[in-house]
Amino acid sequence: MNEEQIKVSSDLMSEGVGLISAAGYINNEGGQAIADAATGLIDQGCNTLLIDLEGTRIINSIGVSILLEILEKLMDEKGKLAFCNLTPTISKTFEIMGLVQYASVYPDQEAARAAFEGDTSV
Amino acid sequence: MEAVLHLPVVPNVELVAAKAVETLGGALGMSQTHVEAASVAIVEACLNAIEHGGGPITVRLRDDDHAAKPCLVIEVEDHGHGFDPAKAPKNSPSRVLGSASKRGWGLTLIRELMDEVQIQSEPGKTVVLMRKYVESAI
Repeated sequence: MNEEQIKVSSDLMSEGVGLISAAGYINNEGGQAIADAATGLIDQGCNTLLIDLEGTRIINSIGVSILLEILEKLMDEKGKLAFCNLTPTISKTFEIMGLVQYASVYPDQEAARAAFEGDTSV
Repeated sequence: MEAVLHLPVVPNVELVAAKAVETLGGALGMSQTHVEAASVAIVEACLNAIEHGGGPITVRLRDDDHAAKPCLVIEVEDHGHGFDPAKAPKNSPSRVLGSASKRGWGLTLIRELMDEVQIQSEPGKTVVLMRKYVESAI
């Protein structure tokens, strides 16, 4: 669980849909790195963002509060926020802090992609 | 089995405490999910202690057989002004979304992720004691 340095990358999944992959400790710096990636994708025209947290096993409430700010920004622009590859503890933390009430959670990128494309079987 | 950590206020020092939870929790036979829940709780307790205590903190970890159920006991101690636990804010998403301040989740998370939480606080000494059972239901 030695994850002090977070690794964040971003990419376009499809038109209007951005992918952020983050592995490491989501504290204030980790949360801000994700927020910076989100801003970059929103500026490129994405109003749906998927944050893949495979490789992230520990978070703190300061980092999650920054994710809440990303959620608010997307909600203001009628966009959507989704997560995938959450550990049970991160999923529970997001539930406690209200993220999963307003964001979608998928098991993995494939499930998220299928949902974004309108496949109701996921 | 016992460990005592005297932690200075340096960036990410809370991860040292989380690593201790990972090691001792694993030795007790706790599941990875329970270890991670206790790790998030101790991270929050350390951050609160550093923020409100203002100085070095002490973390104690030990195993116990509380009520004949094996568990990991965690204590986080600071030497700040203290507070009244009964008056500590209880956050909820509806109170936070749309608000300029999204902070103040520490105690809420600790209470939700751990099996038992006791807080003793007076001016100069606050101790947050948490238990996570090896066979925790949460």
